[in-house]
Amino acid sequence: MSGFGGRAAVAVVLAAVLLFLAWGLAPEAAVFRDAQSQHALLALAALVKLALLLAGALVAFACRDRLDEGNPARPAWALLAAGLFATLAGQLSLAPYQLVSGQSPFPSVGDLYYVLSYPFFIAAFLVFLRAYREAGFPMGSAAERVGIVAGVGVIAVVLAVVILRPVAAGGEDLLERILNVAYPVLDLVLLLPLALLLRIALRLGTSRVGLVWGELLAGFVFLCLSDMLFAYLTALGQQHVDPYLHACYVLAYGLVAGGALQQLRLLKA
Amino acid sequence: MLASEVVQVMVRVISPYIGDTMSRAAAEAHCQKLGVFGGLINDEQLEALLGKVGAGLNIFLGREKAANVMAEVRRELRTGAVAR
Repeated sequence: MSGFGGRAAVAVVLAAVLLFLAWGLAPEAAVFRDAQSQHALLALAALVKLALLLAGALVAFACRDRLDEGNPARPAWALLAAGLFATLAGQLSLAPYQLVSGQSPFPSVGDLYYVLSYPFFIAAFLVFLRAYREAGFPMGSAAERVGIVAGVGVIAVVLAVVILRPVAAGGEDLLERILNVAYPVLDLVLLLPLALLLRIALRLGTSRVGLVWGELLAGFVFLCLSDMLFAYLTALGQQHVDPYLHACYVLAYGLVAGGALQQLRLLKA
Repeated sequence: MLASEVVQVMVRVISPYIGDTMSRAAAEAHCQKLGVFGGLINDEQLEALLGKVGAGLNIFLGREKAANVMAEVRRELRTGAVAR
């Protein structure tokens, strides 16, 4: 993608995020109030998410392709691409409902793919960490790493208790409850390697690789937040916050795709 | 050549890609592993250091780009040596 194309993509993502935030802040405004507008906004959210996931998955796979076979980061980019393709499959399963009837059924077959994406993402981050350690980049002492994982683990457990209590006690059907527990738990597991990668990203500063990781990690942090909010708010029956969730997901997918694109540019330069 | 000068040149060339902190930390960590604790660095140690840092950059930049960056480090080191 050219520099102009990249800037146009950023502008589209930001415009979509602002639109969904406006929808969330002023749901009674004339432009958002009627069912037709809400259907159109849901369809727009579905299309933007599909486009960003497709772009992210293809670009991550292109990054894998640009690296030599022996490069330890190559399988990590392949796993990241696989995770994004799985998320794309989930969104593709959901899109016909959103586009045709303006509904987002939950649970749906799409959840199978969303859940499937987590092992790929977690494996990708673990392979990245191993690759950086093997390449001799300073990862901190074992005690420091254990401290980070333990700190994030404690925060994750506290969050899990807060989020999962209403979810587990919810009166929805069993599959819905299982999924609403599974998403936050998987997100919290994902946060553990993310925290270690964040430590590396901070050391990369505002360098070119630092920008790659800044965008990628910010994207995954937003993804985790979105999933946790989704589970929590669905359990509480707070459907009116859906616009904020669309904004969070669009931002998350946009940042991940943007980070992968920065990496591809770096590999091509 | 002084090891500290080599590290300085490496950091200058590599930092736009992986940042000042990471460049310095990586170069110094490799120096330590190679037994270069300050003072002079011999040709063999220098080649090993360039190889290790280049292999690390390969992870982020790919082989071709990492090789170009390390070639730039070598040029800078030669220029510095001639200037002295």
